[in-house]
Amino acid sequence: MKNTGLSKLITAGAAMALIGVATAGILPANASTKTTLTVAYPSVYAFDTGPLAAKWWSQVKADFTKIYPNVKVQYIALPGSYQDVVNKLSLLYRSSSTAPDVAEMPSAQIGLWSSSGYLLPMNKYLKTSSWFKDFPKVIQSEGKFNGNIYAVNDGENDSELMYNKTMFKKAGIPVPWKPTTWQDIISAAQKIKKALPNVTPLWLNAGTGSGANGLLQGINNFIVGSSTPTIETKSGKMVVDSPGIKAALGFYQKVYADGLGASESALFSPNAVTDPLTLFKTGKLAMAVGSNYYGGNWTKFINAPYWPQAVATMGVTGLPNEAGTGIASTLAGWDLAIGSHAPDAQMAYNFINVAQAPKNLIDAANWAGWVPPVESDWTLPAYTNFAPPYNADFAKVLPSATETPTSANYSAWVQGMGEATGLFVQNPKTTVSQALSTFENYVTQQLGNSAVTKLK
Amino acid sequence: MASSSVHDAIIDPSAVDLWKTRKDRARFQWSSLAMLSPAFALLIILFLIPVGYAVYLGFTNLTLVGPTAVHWFYTGTQNLQRLGSDTEFRSSLELTAFFVIGSIVGVLIVGYGLASLLLRATPWVRVLVGGVVVIAWMMPAITAGMTWYASTTAQGTFATLIGLSNSDFLGSYPLLIVTIANIWSQTGFAMLVIGAALRNIPSEILEAADVENASKFQRFRLVVLPMLRPTMTAVVLLVALLSLANFSLIYVMTQGGPGNATNILPLYSYQQAFEFNNLAYGALIGNVMVIIAAVFGVLYVRVATKRSK
Repeated sequence: MKNTGLSKLITAGAAMALIGVATAGILPANASTKTTLTVAYPSVYAFDTGPLAAKWWSQVKADFTKIYPNVKVQYIALPGSYQDVVNKLSLLYRSSSTAPDVAEMPSAQIGLWSSSGYLLPMNKYLKTSSWFKDFPKVIQSEGKFNGNIYAVNDGENDSELMYNKTMFKKAGIPVPWKPTTWQDIISAAQKIKKALPNVTPLWLNAGTGSGANGLLQGINNFIVGSSTPTIETKSGKMVVDSPGIKAALGFYQKVYADGLGASESALFSPNAVTDPLTLFKTGKLAMAVGSNYYGGNWTKFINAPYWPQAVATMGVTGLPNEAGTGIASTLAGWDLAIGSHAPDAQMAYNFINVAQAPKNLIDAANWAGWVPPVESDWTLPAYTNFAPPYNADFAKVLPSATETPTSANYSAWVQGMGEATGLFVQNPKTTVSQALSTFENYVTQQLGNSAVTKLK
Repeated sequence: MASSSVHDAIIDPSAVDLWKTRKDRARFQWSSLAMLSPAFALLIILFLIPVGYAVYLGFTNLTLVGPTAVHWFYTGTQNLQRLGSDTEFRSSLELTAFFVIGSIVGVLIVGYGLASLLLRATPWVRVLVGGVVVIAWMMPAITAGMTWYASTTAQGTFATLIGLSNSDFLGSYPLLIVTIANIWSQTGFAMLVIGAALRNIPSEILEAADVENASKFQRFRLVVLPMLRPTMTAVVLLVALLSLANFSLIYVMTQGGPGNATNILPLYSYQQAFEFNNLAYGALIGNVMVIIAAVFGVLYVRVATKRSK
């Protein structure tokens, strides 16, 4: 072959490439080369406002970058509602090229993602953690499946009864109000209805519009406080009939048959779960089964909406259990997890470690309306003084709270229970057995007989 | 001899070429395949492969999350058997039938009514009303859904107008309201198409009907309607297809609720795939929608082809 100019060029290029490969392992790496850590987080839903979410995550990024300047943090914002966040994260995890290294996720989904093989066990990293041992056992086990810890909590939600003290006084109900039975709640609502006919006595989430969150801040609090609190058995079967479910539906039946609840359009709105915040402020609601983010939303800092008279007007008290022997509440939170495909799992854990720094956890709790996972933080002034007295009160409830089920079948259970509770709203003459039948038939039909069970 | 010349013509080899180039028969040019190949490629890549894959997925146990999100496999007719006994699917089919048929009837009536009224209207009225109706048609489904949600719930526009601000029309009659919302959003298209067809009816035919002392109803039934039939058929089929695939409008207004009162097939498919994580079963429900839409599509093509002949 003739040694043309082109062949000389090719030969020279190949030689240079060989030299480059040969010396790459000898010469030191360029000091300015950065690795990238991808972090996915809910940009609107988890925190009280979108700007506060952006602020917190920017704060964490700044803290992390100070310690690890050679690591570039690339955020993947997940906008939308709870279901949007879950779906987007599920779709991101389906490919190793899009799966985030770290993700903030709702606790109810950890089991599903870990069983898909999307999450990395963090047991070995947590052995040296300075904060995980300070989590109460119920919060530590939130991310634990088959003996491995796949996620660590960065904030919890629980429920209590919020009530308007002024309205209660007008109705002749002593304040501070301390109900000990479910009948006490009904009686108070009946007195409110009689004394203040233009006010909704009790906000009790019902229907399918609010999805899983509607149940979390609604009927599930009554089920977990009943004589049979099980929603999902240890073998993974969903409970479609139990004395506890009947009792909880009975409470709902009484509330809506007596006209003590909110209107159909209010309850079936997709925003139903957060509507009480404004209804309380505008004097249209007397009490609600509410969540711990209420108090913070009324502060000037959060302003969603700002209600300067909130502390003077609103009381908070634990939701009694069915037996009247204590209080009950659901428990669900947001957790941080490492993706199983993370190229540098140690660095991913380092990011989580920074996010879990005491100041970051307190800020997250205040800005997202959570209870911080570290027990000693529950009495810190930085937390309790942000939204007094609500923050401190909701933290006290946490040890009595019951974790939300995490299996894939729970979604169908939620839909069925939403339909059942919605029946009482649409037709107050609906009986408990009719609602129970609707619920049982729907869930059994969706999941199959082998995936459901009844408890006695 | 004449018979000989005919015989010669029959067996004349050059006469054989006439059969190949007969003008009264459709001719197929193999070279046209090269011209059509880009379109075929697009059809295969953008339609046949994705739809074929979706059909296949409908016969697997693929989920969005869980063990079978990664390790999924073909399960034969398991999903089909489930579909056969799924009462929610049957209910969803009935709701879809009401929604689609109700939308077709409503769009035809309102579209024809507006078209014939605007035909007789003064120009500025025609422009104003026609413009507003077309804007409703052009409006994104989400905007239309939010508009109707705000108008038909308690303290909404309609409730306030009638002086009963707590009336929740959407909660009380959800399927009817979403159907009306769909009619509202699609009437503009029908009005434009039917209006053009009405203007193309020869005035002599209408005058002839008047000369024969035909009543207005007879004129409509015996003259106008037959002449509008091809246009109406096209409107029916297109509205059916658009309504069958309607997800955004109903999702924004009711999310398929209250309960499952407005859970038509697109929403039920979404619910199964993305709320219950059953991607495969959701795909199967989507395949049913494709079959129904294909039937409408074939009908539309046949009608359109018949018209052009």
